[in-house]
Amino acid sequence: MVNKAVIIPTGDEIKEGIVLDTDSPMVMSFILKLNGDCHVERCRPTVDDEANIEQKIQQYLAEEFDLIILIGGSGGGHRYSKTLGKDFTHSALEGILDDKVVTELYGKNGHLWSKLIAGRAGKTLVINIPGPFAEAEAAMSAFVETFKEIGVDLKRINASMAEAVKKKYSLYNGFENQL
Amino acid sequence: MLDNTQIIVQVDKTIVKITGVQVRGLDTQALEKILMNKLKSLVRIIGVTGDSIEMDVYGLEESAILSESEDVIKAISMAEGITASDVTKMASVEKIQSFDIEKIPDYIENRCKGERWQKVGQ
Repeated sequence: MVNKAVIIPTGDEIKEGIVLDTDSPMVMSFILKLNGDCHVERCRPTVDDEANIEQKIQQYLAEEFDLIILIGGSGGGHRYSKTLGKDFTHSALEGILDDKVVTELYGKNGHLWSKLIAGRAGKTLVINIPGPFAEAEAAMSAFVETFKEIGVDLKRINASMAEAVKKKYSLYNGFENQL
Repeated sequence: MLDNTQIIVQVDKTIVKITGVQVRGLDTQALEKILMNKLKSLVRIIGVTGDSIEMDVYGLEESAILSESEDVIKAISMAEGITASDVTKMASVEKIQSFDIEKIPDYIENRCKGERWQKVGQ
């Protein structure tokens, strides 16, 4: 049961108000579908900086939240194009989680579009979702469905979320290769 | 436990960058809708700064997007949160290039496969 959840939006553009955060209300509505009695927090947006994101995660782990959801920063971003945002969410998560299941989705040009992680640190379940609304919504929907059905199964949660995001990309005109 | 799956999604897209705009309080979903109506194709906003917007356009060639550049800029200027000006322009329009997945150079820390593939072509 998820009784205490926190949403962590990431991104300089969100923090500075350049882009509206439409993802967080959507994520909150999905969490409430899991448990209408859940205490849900949305923390102030975190700048795209690995240390900052790590610090936020550690803070909520210490406060024993059941579920931490990070939004955005899941792609290759700055590592691919100087003009794209800095994507540090997945690298911040790497060192913190005790158990984790990871799926990386690449474009045909080799650019890392999205690295989705489902992991556990102590008793806390931690997941990340991509920033673009359509993909974020698909990932959250898949997460809630899987969690309701089988509970905390990292592999199944990660697989269903990655499949949902991949379907969004594949809808455009493509198909996929598994490496 | 660590389980890692890697998938390549074979989708054609063109990356478009608009510069010379002022952005504040942008609803990216609303902008995507405006652009999809204009271009009759799928659009995803992938990067926004205070003065630029970067997007993926699916299923359209570079030439088709360039031919619509003025109309696209007019359409963008209608979106809430964006102020266009005389210097607003389509600064780059670039279709993504495929890379041979058999020729990925060795792992380099903090670099994605795209960077490694592109290094092969240099």
